[in-house]
Amino acid sequence: MSKTYVVPTEISELNRVEDKLELLKDIKRSFSVYRIDCGSCNGCEIEIFASITPMWDPERFGFKLVANPRHADILLCTGPVTRQMYYPLLRAYEAAPDPKIVVGYGACGSTGGIFHDCYSTWGGVDKVIPVDVWIPGCPPHPASTIYGLATAIGILDQKLKKVEHKDGSNEAPVIEKSVFGNTLFEREVMERARVMMGYLHGRELHKVFTKAVSSIKDIYNPVSSKKSLLEVIKKEEDPRFRECMMILHNDVYLKHLKRFKNIDKCNPAICFTKEEMELAYD
Amino acid sequence: MKLLDMTRKYGNATYEYPFAPYDVADGFRGKPEYDYDKCIGCTACGVACPSNAINVELNEAKDKLVWKFDCGRCIYCGRCDEVCPTNAVMLGSNFETAVRFNKEDLTESAELELECCQNCGKKFTTKRLIAYCIENFKKVGWSESVIQEKTKYIKTCPVCKKADSVELVSKHFSKGVKK
Repeated sequence: MSKTYVVPTEISELNRVEDKLELLKDIKRSFSVYRIDCGSCNGCEIEIFASITPMWDPERFGFKLVANPRHADILLCTGPVTRQMYYPLLRAYEAAPDPKIVVGYGACGSTGGIFHDCYSTWGGVDKVIPVDVWIPGCPPHPASTIYGLATAIGILDQKLKKVEHKDGSNEAPVIEKSVFGNTLFEREVMERARVMMGYLHGRELHKVFTKAVSSIKDIYNPVSSKKSLLEVIKKEEDPRFRECMMILHNDVYLKHLKRFKNIDKCNPAICFTKEEMELAYD
Repeated sequence: MKLLDMTRKYGNATYEYPFAPYDVADGFRGKPEYDYDKCIGCTACGVACPSNAINVELNEAKDKLVWKFDCGRCIYCGRCDEVCPTNAVMLGSNFETAVRFNKEDLTESAELELECCQNCGKKFTTKRLIAYCIENFKKVGWSESVIQEKTKYIKTCPVCKKADSVELVSKHFSKGVKK
């Protein structure tokens, strides 16, 4: 959607950055925050109300939610500005006393978020009215909210800076050496671990399991490697990790060992039996 | 008085933040942290990103691949973390992402050099990705001759690969075709 709203000169003249900084310096009372919902999914609203609870207590810094834009110093705009909320947003903006600080709250409020190219939204508050502070997050954590509002009034300093990486080397990142001399083993461990525990815990499981396997002295001896793996498993606190490590041993380790040695996969001396797996949860 | 006793019993519930650091929970999904040295430019994160916070595209001169990230658009779903083969993008624990007056501070970008196709000379993928592939071949335990053959294959662009395979197939079939 093309830009149609032009900020009236009488408002823009009173809303320069210097005026806002002067307001922040001279203000001798609480900051009144008015929250405008410009078509938000309500996630941001929930987090705003979570952050005004005694748990976070923004009234320590003087933030107070008010029910009328005519009382507001700070306008907290959530949502990607849908067509329907375009005029209400402008009315609230014009009604707020000058100078006013506009905050784009949440991923939608700051850039449009997941609706950035949606036909029925404007894609961010800053496409419609001038915004001073952006608080990204979907929704922002109450701590982010407190930090963002404190940044808005200048208590805290902004930590993010524009980063540009240039002229790096063309060498590949380091790949760790495989225990079998074939990284397909590690790859399959990663694959199975992710299937069983998801990407986050799967990565952890992969790390724990490969560390356990690489500490085995004779990797080609299944009996001793089972014993040493069992010791690692006993030390592990999380029962899910215990069971998954047993499954990885049975399914992946023994499968790859089969290429070097003729072994019986069901031999209880080298694989973890069902009874042993049940013990993982004790 | 009863109320005062109760408040004394439960103590102060308010977090010290921002006067003391706030410890996020385990598995908290904060701002994605990008490691430039690990990135190979495979564009998996750009494909996976549901809100297009990560864009991977050629620069204006079309001689470099540019990885762009806009923190304002990120919804912290963690899919970039999930698909990254080298763990170059990982969700960190940074929640202090608010910026004031300058929206550009939310962005991050990285440039990667491109490799030319050995047949047609057009740029088609990053040098790091090819180096990473060759490194992987070595770690898989293939012999030198096989690696050299495969290297030739990966240094060809998809268009040339297609043309090559069509040529190969047509050579085979020409024996059976009447002229």
